[in-house]
Amino acid sequence: MSLYRWSSVSLLLRIVLLGLAITTAVTAWAVDGFQPVSPDELKMTSEPKAPGAPAILLFRQVDRDDSRREAAHETNYLRIKILTEEGRKYGDVELPFYTESEDIRDIHARTVKQDGTVVDFDGKIFDKSLAKGRRIGLRAKTFTLPDVQVGSIIEYFYTVDWKHLYDSHWILTSELFTRNAKFSLKPYKSANVPTMRWSWHSLPPGAEAKEGPDGIVRMEASNIDGFKPEDFMPPANELKARVDFIYELEMPDKDLAKFWQRIGKSWNGKLESFIDKRKVMEQAVAEIVSPNDSQEAKLRKIYDRVQAIRNKSYEVRKTEQEEKRNKEKAEENVEDVWKRGYGNKAQLTWLYLALVRAAGFEAYGCWVSNRREYFFTPNTMESSKLNANVVLVKLNGKDLYFDPGAEFTPFGMLTWSETGVRGLRLDKDGGSWIETSLPKASESRVERDAKLKLSDNGDLEGKLTVTYTGLEAMYHRLSFRNEDEIARKKFLEDAVRAQIPVAAEAELTNKPDWSSSETPLVAEFDLKVPGWASSAGKGEILPTALFTANEKRLFQHATRVYPIYFNYPLEKREDVTIELPAGWQATNLPAPQSKDSPLVAYDLKVESAKEGLRLKRKLAINILLLEPKYYTALRNFFEGVRTGDEEQILLQPAAASAGN
Amino acid sequence: MRNRFSYSQPQPVRAIDFRVVLVFFWSVVGLLFYVPRAAADGEAPAWMKSVAAASIPSYDEKTNAVLLYSETNLTVLSVDRIKTHVRKVYKILRPDGRGYGSAWVYFNAPGQKVENLHGWCIPAQGKDFEVKEKDATDMSPPGVEGGELVDDVKVKSLRIPAADPGNIIGYEYEIEERPLVLEHRWDIQDLVPTRESHFSLQLPAGWEYKASWVNHPEIKAMESGSNRWEWATTEVKGIRQEPRMPPWFGIAGQMVISFLPPGGLSPKSGYTSWETMGAWYRNLLSDRLQSSPQIKEQVANLIAGKSSSLEKMQALAEFIQRKIRYVAIELGIGGWQPHAATDVFTHRYGDCKDKATLMRAMLSDIGIESYHVLINTQRGSVGSETPAHRAFNHAIMAVKLPEGLTDPSLVATMQHPKLGRILFFDPTDTITPFGQIRGHLQFNYGLLVTPDGGELVRLPQESSSMNGTQRTARLTLDATGALKGDVEEVRLGDRASSQRWALRSVTSDKERIKPIENLLAMSLTNFQVIRAAAVDEKRNDQPLRLSYSFASEKYAKSAGTVLLVRPRVLGVEALSFLETKEPRAFPVEFDGPVRDTDSFEITLPDGYQAGELPAPVDMDYSFASYHAKTEVIGRVIRYTRSIEIKELSVPAEKVEELRKFYRVIANDERSTVVVKAPTAQS
Repeated sequence: MSLYRWSSVSLLLRIVLLGLAITTAVTAWAVDGFQPVSPDELKMTSEPKAPGAPAILLFRQVDRDDSRREAAHETNYLRIKILTEEGRKYGDVELPFYTESEDIRDIHARTVKQDGTVVDFDGKIFDKSLAKGRRIGLRAKTFTLPDVQVGSIIEYFYTVDWKHLYDSHWILTSELFTRNAKFSLKPYKSANVPTMRWSWHSLPPGAEAKEGPDGIVRMEASNIDGFKPEDFMPPANELKARVDFIYELEMPDKDLAKFWQRIGKSWNGKLESFIDKRKVMEQAVAEIVSPNDSQEAKLRKIYDRVQAIRNKSYEVRKTEQEEKRNKEKAEENVEDVWKRGYGNKAQLTWLYLALVRAAGFEAYGCWVSNRREYFFTPNTMESSKLNANVVLVKLNGKDLYFDPGAEFTPFGMLTWSETGVRGLRLDKDGGSWIETSLPKASESRVERDAKLKLSDNGDLEGKLTVTYTGLEAMYHRLSFRNEDEIARKKFLEDAVRAQIPVAAEAELTNKPDWSSSETPLVAEFDLKVPGWASSAGKGEILPTALFTANEKRLFQHATRVYPIYFNYPLEKREDVTIELPAGWQATNLPAPQSKDSPLVAYDLKVESAKEGLRLKRKLAINILLLEPKYYTALRNFFEGVRTGDEEQILLQPAAASAGN
Repeated sequence: MRNRFSYSQPQPVRAIDFRVVLVFFWSVVGLLFYVPRAAADGEAPAWMKSVAAASIPSYDEKTNAVLLYSETNLTVLSVDRIKTHVRKVYKILRPDGRGYGSAWVYFNAPGQKVENLHGWCIPAQGKDFEVKEKDATDMSPPGVEGGELVDDVKVKSLRIPAADPGNIIGYEYEIEERPLVLEHRWDIQDLVPTRESHFSLQLPAGWEYKASWVNHPEIKAMESGSNRWEWATTEVKGIRQEPRMPPWFGIAGQMVISFLPPGGLSPKSGYTSWETMGAWYRNLLSDRLQSSPQIKEQVANLIAGKSSSLEKMQALAEFIQRKIRYVAIELGIGGWQPHAATDVFTHRYGDCKDKATLMRAMLSDIGIESYHVLINTQRGSVGSETPAHRAFNHAIMAVKLPEGLTDPSLVATMQHPKLGRILFFDPTDTITPFGQIRGHLQFNYGLLVTPDGGELVRLPQESSSMNGTQRTARLTLDATGALKGDVEEVRLGDRASSQRWALRSVTSDKERIKPIENLLAMSLTNFQVIRAAAVDEKRNDQPLRLSYSFASEKYAKSAGTVLLVRPRVLGVEALSFLETKEPRAFPVEFDGPVRDTDSFEITLPDGYQAGELPAPVDMDYSFASYHAKTEVIGRVIRYTRSIEIKELSVPAEKVEELRKFYRVIANDERSTVVVKAPTAQS
């Protein structure tokens, strides 16, 4: 389930950011040396625009010169003011780079004490090999500055040499608040192209990249907030101010529509070439469907058949030697995929397109942008961000989207990162823009049904069935596709225990179906929650809701900087029946809770039942992206959920109850 | 295995072990970028095939792999050259065992060189696979914030094809090294079961060895040639990880072997005792401790106006803690030998041993003697029976206290038979005041390096009264169930350090409230922090005081005509890590002794009356105690409790008691008082 997975992603994110830093960051400063430090910079002890910051970037300058294609280089100059003891860590500098494409040279560094005394860096610059293999060379220039104290200014500049001409990026937002920054890029220009264009995102007020009469693109920016990740935030790329420069091999289209038309035509041609095996596809369809099948049944049968084909994209990654031994040829068209019985994710999705067309459907190939890393907009003319393929089928006037190449995706759904995104529907004229469907919360559910018995000593024990549907089932099936039953069992049992706010025992008793896309993932358990009811005088107190641990600490902080982002809408439902000990009864039933809005909904109801008590709970989150101004309302909602969940039922022996 | 002083600045809350980060980094790098090149298929060697052909016993379903065969042949060629040849064969039993399909050979460059790395896979079906050294990737860790910036630890990784369940993976390699010390550790145990493990030693003529056994009964050596010996084990259990278990080196079977050249001890001789190891380290320090005019001037400035020796030491300690930045650059012997005090002073940075070195030089300038202490930050890695070897990863120091100096702030002391009263101090720890040490150092063994050599000493265990949170709250409940009021927390010892660290690590003023929000969120479903302040946040020698006010709606739940009030308003002491189906194999380890207390007073609305109260809880075990009581005084519900961890290690046979202990606490934390509304009484 995606909602609560952010923290586990953060470590991977850091690794990825390291990679990004290598390719995008910091270039160098082509000036004669260090710039003078002002008295104000020396004596400052805080930055009013970044109160409490451990350090700030007083100044950053990036100058890139691509004018000589084989000698492109960047210089970067950074001046950092240390404001707290914690900020002294910025005195350690590591500049990673890929040896295949880059080199770093001419590093100069110094520390300026608060009294203006300069301590030049005269230590060693370590050239570390982070990874070296046949296909990788990753090194880092590492050094540490002397005498870095609170109040010091540290600064350094260096040059990155590029061995080839690359796209470049000005990432304005860094970990630290930036007071002033300057950027410039002298692009490569040649009568034989390539040519360069640029796009920007979330630039601070007043910042604008402009090309001067000398052909150099320049930009100045100031007061750029530092970046600090938060739970449930959009991809970091969406939150950082940036300018992206892209070299194109073809003449750029100034006109947006013409640009995408050209792209669409080109891609459509490649697609048609891949799927143009009408006869073979018709024969295949004849094997899959029967003429009497309804249109939807046909689509579903074809979908199931395609998903049954071996999908190489989801296998344990093989070594080159294994692949060579398997002697699997590259698939050049849908006939290859169909006849050989395997393909990758994208190929299987195009096979589906070919088959449904052969079955007589009006269907289109679409390239969409998955929203794991970026939110796509056509305005920036970045075709590489259309990086996932889906199939659009017209049925009864409706647009249906399919991606059978995404393993375990149920019929009629897309993998979460392809939902609710823009894409290009391809046709011979270049295509048109579409937006994929976003499933409702009720289509991706976690349902927990339990029949439990409360013992005299407060233990809760009985049977529990957990049913994952839609994208929830898909996610778990994908995560454990290459694991064994032991690991899957452990996961399911741990997931139950993790949902209960006290120690609990769960034992899986059935064999869930991990291989299907269509059926819900159903797990049955023997469940025991020791001491769930707690004592209250002669009575016992029973919390209203049992599976609430996930919501316990959601949005606990009062302030929020970035928008709130969920991967996909989701619903949780619980239906718990509790048989009370003989002679015991509830002296109160909490008032029903109902908070219903288009974005979030919460219902909680406790009823007397034949067996004792029946507790029904529903929590639905229909949010994809929410502006920070609504954070307080969302936080209040979840506080209400927690408060509702912790409503309590007072149980008393019948006699005591009567006495009351 | 990294076996150096690599300990970084202690952080009270460290969610991720840096080594895990590094392994993860390497794994990610490996996965992202590394695919072994296609090589000519080669058959697995005969030695591997013979191992693979043998039948294996059945293992439980959670066993990821089994180490079928391990062979280590170590040849000492001279005091400057050792060659070690290693072979390993694993059978992958589960998908989770696929990780054993890569050889990870750790080495230090340039002192060690890995040669002749080969890997093979014998699949259950089909032809064998072979990969060679040219297919491997060399990796070293990036600089880690708060950890090593530069060191010479590297790993050579070789991914072997088809590491799937049922298949057999094998590899071999040689390491040639220029040893810093003539010592080796043979690891007998793995995370998975070991069927057969061999170790052989070839010494030059006239050499001797000394073998010691850790966590394993002695195995007699078989002489198998001229100055050649062999050891072997079979069917050794794997060590399955458990939360809060003792450190690996405190439980895993190992043989520590020292090589002794003829003609007495050489500078590189393996250690025959802690004394000889201490002497070795003392020699490494010999030219590092000199002061300089600049240091002396700084010392003079720092102690100006200070009259007592304690004040002077505190001033020097604060300088080292606050002004010398932790930066670890550990290359070659630099993993063990500190930089000169003058260099550390000039650059204002250094690692743990560097900081101890400068501190010692400065203390010497005021006439106070002190010593390095080598220690492992994971208590239990070194015990009284542990043979002398480089088992440490951190350096602290011991200060010989001036005669007659007594002060209640000097807690981490011991009476040494020769040196008199000594105080342990960790100059890397920027948060713990001079006079105390953190929990993980307490009751731990360290090598005290003295002019006479060295000795293993046990550091003192501080009283639990030195570490804890004393929380008091005065709160008011209204008829709607809303609770509001003021909370005061006095935090001592590690409890203060962890909160100081949390406050120090924030990146903006807005975030300073978050540690308190985190605390409240553990116990309250909704809350609003009305006010919050930290007192003496930067004065390590004082308790940290947190003062805050909050309001929480519907804290008390309405149940018909009564309110249900949980008297334990804040703080969670119950732990659930023992609630597993697996029987516990190893002791449970605690960081340090601690005593937390809570005292909450909830004033009820007019006319409301508390009904029957939860029963008091009184638990006293040898390892811990817990006492909780709810009383009613007039309109006030008063809840008081205390929890004390007295022993730092609870043996496995007592873990069931510990489980019960935490269950009772969990119940107490959820217990409720039924409060009757005025109408309910009428």
